[in-house]
Amino acid sequence: MKRKKIVRWVITFILFIWLIITLMPLAWAIALSFDRKALNTLPPFSLIPHVPTLFNYEVAFTSFPLVTYYLNTIIVTACHTVLAVFFALMCGYAFAKGRFVGKNFWFVFMLAVMMIPFESRMVPLYLQYKNMGLLDTYVPLIIGGFAYVYGIFFARQNIDAIPDSLRESAYIDGAGEWRIFLQIVIPLSMPLIATLSILQILSNWNNYLWPLVIIRSNSKQLISVGVSYFNATQDAIYYGPRMAVAVVSAIPLTILFLVLQKYIVQSIAISGTKE
Amino acid sequence: MMQQRSKRNFRVREQLIWYSFLITSILTLILLTYIPMLTAVKYSFYDVSVLGFGDDVFVGFQNYQKLINNSSFLNSIKNTFLLAVMGLLSIPIGFILATLINSLGRGQRQNFFRVAFYFPNIITGASVVLIFQIVLKANNGLLNNALSFLVGQNVKIGWLSDSSYSRWGATILHLWGSIGYSMLINLANLQSIPENLYEAAEVDGANGLQKWFHITIPQMTSCFVFLFITSMIGGLSRFTDLFIIGGNTSAGRPGGTLQTILMYIYQFSFEAPQYGIASAGAIILFLLTFIITLINLKITGFFKKEKKGGKVREA
Repeated sequence: MKRKKIVRWVITFILFIWLIITLMPLAWAIALSFDRKALNTLPPFSLIPHVPTLFNYEVAFTSFPLVTYYLNTIIVTACHTVLAVFFALMCGYAFAKGRFVGKNFWFVFMLAVMMIPFESRMVPLYLQYKNMGLLDTYVPLIIGGFAYVYGIFFARQNIDAIPDSLRESAYIDGAGEWRIFLQIVIPLSMPLIATLSILQILSNWNNYLWPLVIIRSNSKQLISVGVSYFNATQDAIYYGPRMAVAVVSAIPLTILFLVLQKYIVQSIAISGTKE
Repeated sequence: MMQQRSKRNFRVREQLIWYSFLITSILTLILLTYIPMLTAVKYSFYDVSVLGFGDDVFVGFQNYQKLINNSSFLNSIKNTFLLAVMGLLSIPIGFILATLINSLGRGQRQNFFRVAFYFPNIITGASVVLIFQIVLKANNGLLNNALSFLVGQNVKIGWLSDSSYSRWGATILHLWGSIGYSMLINLANLQSIPENLYEAAEVDGANGLQKWFHITIPQMTSCFVFLFITSMIGGLSRFTDLFIIGGNTSAGRPGGTLQTILMYIYQFSFEAPQYGIASAGAIILFLLTFIITLINLKITGFFKKEKKGGKVREA
């Protein structure tokens, strides 16, 4: 028994050291972002700023419209997530409980999309939007949400598990499919909605290539691409401000993670095991 | 007669109601996935200039021929696969990490490590690249500082600026973000191995190593396959971090060592537009992804059969 306890402490110790090594880059970046000495050269390693300052954050916020990037990203992420999750549930419900001609065909039709990487159809899609005059708008970034294929697949599995007896009693009360969907299925699917929303928010927030291609004006840009502007224009120097930008842009997801960590970790684990 | 008719009307109505749930997504997929995909196939056989859509010339397989004879395209394929394979290191490392965390037993300590080690995966994105550009810097970078301390000599490797180390630098950056994910999936699968398998083995007098070899590893195979496939597919379309490392260009700096297929496609789509060439590249990317997915289906089906064959029970 005693030996087991010692082993457990040794493992905890190893994990702890490993964790410190893993998180060290972040700690250092935070320290640099508050360090007045980190400007044209990197100061020697220290987790405490040599000359503490908020200067780097001032530079970051005055030279880049970070607040605008934030708001833009929040708008796009929110719209895309709401659309994606709601329409995924609609399709999931139809595939789980519906009886209609062509059900299997349309299901395969949707699943097949998972085999087509977005990147391989990006160019024609871009030209399509260009011809419609929709470049530099949020439409191309959002309307993909009308078909969230992984979500549809996942929603079907979950809604399938809702007992039919609930639907039948609603039928007797004269409810139609839409009312059943809105008043019974959605309230019963809150964990499913949470999981899909989390997956959507994470992938939207870090989405890079598509906004890079679609959005042209600086004032409409999203945070992921906006942050990298800082890198391209201030190539080798301004370490402190760059770290300030990196820290600021990582804060929202960090907060989201700290608040919802249990659900996020669960959602990711589920998405990787129910293969 | 009347009754039959109303019954049929009812059926049609029911059908329409169900289709009303689906129609938006179906149309979206047709317009945003199937048509662009077919268009990409079409473009790949045409000489599509930047401006003209009307007078594109059918050129057969010329675009593909140009690509296959183009050393920088072949180089981008090589880079993509090298980087994807190096990225697979996240699977064994994640597995070791998951095994350590799992051995703590369920409880607060386990939850803490599970969440803390997963955290880097959440913030992976442009900001992490900015941070790692400094961590991996030649002068005073965090990694070189640590190595200098360990070796006792001044290490000055330009992990992201020296073309002979850049793939390792890019892999370190990638692993930092992906080990947490691999750990999480490994852990979830480790914990879903039925406890009674281990108990039965203990009754048969198996020691820890034997249990690990005969129960854990066979039970984890489908998890490894899943991670292998997702990691490879993700690796094939790697773009963001390498694009930012190259100073927001798709040239794959330093020295083209970090140009992936997708960066090559980007180059011929948006930097020096030649949509025919770009589309041919996109179709090749699609085919590579498709092949890996097919292998996946084959392998997972294969393992399902194996499990039923009772190999696991014997252990």
